[in-house]
Amino acid sequence: MSHLTMETLLALREPGVEPGDVAAREHLAHCAACRTELERLDQRAARLRALPPLRPSRNLWPAVHARQQIESRRRFRARWTGVAGFLAAASVALALVWGDVARPDAASAAAEIAAARERSQVLESALNQYNPDVRMIDGRTARVSRELEDRIADLDQQLQDAQLRRARQAEDEQQQQVLELWRERVGLLNALVDVHVTRASNVGL
Amino acid sequence: MSLTRTLPMDPYLVANADSVLADARQGDAAALEKLFRAFESPVYTLARRICRTAEDAEDVLQETFFEVCRSIPRYRGEGSLWGWVRSIAASKALMRLRRNKYRDTDELDDGVFASRREDTALRMDLEAALERLSETSRAVVWLHDVEGYTHEEIAGMMGKTVSFSKSQLARAHVRLRHWLGEGVSA
Repeated sequence: MSHLTMETLLALREPGVEPGDVAAREHLAHCAACRTELERLDQRAARLRALPPLRPSRNLWPAVHARQQIESRRRFRARWTGVAGFLAAASVALALVWGDVARPDAASAAAEIAAARERSQVLESALNQYNPDVRMIDGRTARVSRELEDRIADLDQQLQDAQLRRARQAEDEQQQQVLELWRERVGLLNALVDVHVTRASNVGL
Repeated sequence: MSLTRTLPMDPYLVANADSVLADARQGDAAALEKLFRAFESPVYTLARRICRTAEDAEDVLQETFFEVCRSIPRYRGEGSLWGWVRSIAASKALMRLRRNKYRDTDELDDGVFASRREDTALRMDLEAALERLSETSRAVVWLHDVEGYTHEEIAGMMGKTVSFSKSQLARAHVRLRHWLGEGVSA
């Protein structure tokens, strides 16, 4: 008398009815050895499920978190670099357009915008030199830094919007608004540099 | 009798699941860490049972949670959170197996196991027997018998056929039965 194969026994444990299941069950009803095998199979699977849970030998969250921060910074930087390029081009365009109608106030605002833009570039360069992606920072610094980066990203969006609204707004009002946004951007970048570079020099990194 | 392993959930996460998830989706580090702590052990267990070494399992744990952190804004709550995290973990562990395929021998056949096999008094315990299976067989056994995946799901995750999954499971059980000294009763 031939017994049920392991594949057949396993198939009997699956939900639903497969071709051959009826014959197999009929065999099972009359074969104590195969019933024992099926019972052993169930017990083995139950013992596998009852194996104790395992834990890693070390705390891996800091590594995961650091990698996640690096990734989000990289994404932020990629977006930021593109936006900064767009804004620089937009500022040049604005200066040229306003240069044509050069009233004294407008000329001075355009010069201020150009200066703020240059200052932004200097600060961004300082941040890139510091290269925060490869440095470990504490949780509080990371939070402050993320908040600042979010606000800068928000400002960049507003600057883009301002450029797109140019045609619908009075030039003076538009220029003043852009200038305010650039000033705020420089302020936030200053803060970001302080958070990273000043802290790094304080602790000798 | 439960046919899949039940996961004891962190009571804090159970009570505050919605707010923890909402915060995690915003990238809040504390909320993401709570998710990590809640699922660290089950993910590591799954990874360790499938991968050959503890180092590989730790890598899988890190890769899984890196993916969780990145993808949580897109998690819409269909199915259980553990089911979602587990599918990422299983996928990462199987990816690791594919990467290490050159090591996937039929089963370990070194002196340690050979000497134990001859000694009927020293029957292998279940963990040692599981460890001895080939990586592919062990992955199928764990995913099917413990995590409760169907053969169709396993075949999909491994890029193999349903028949492959079924035959790997049968083959693994024949070996486990033999190594555990259960013999053939007929």
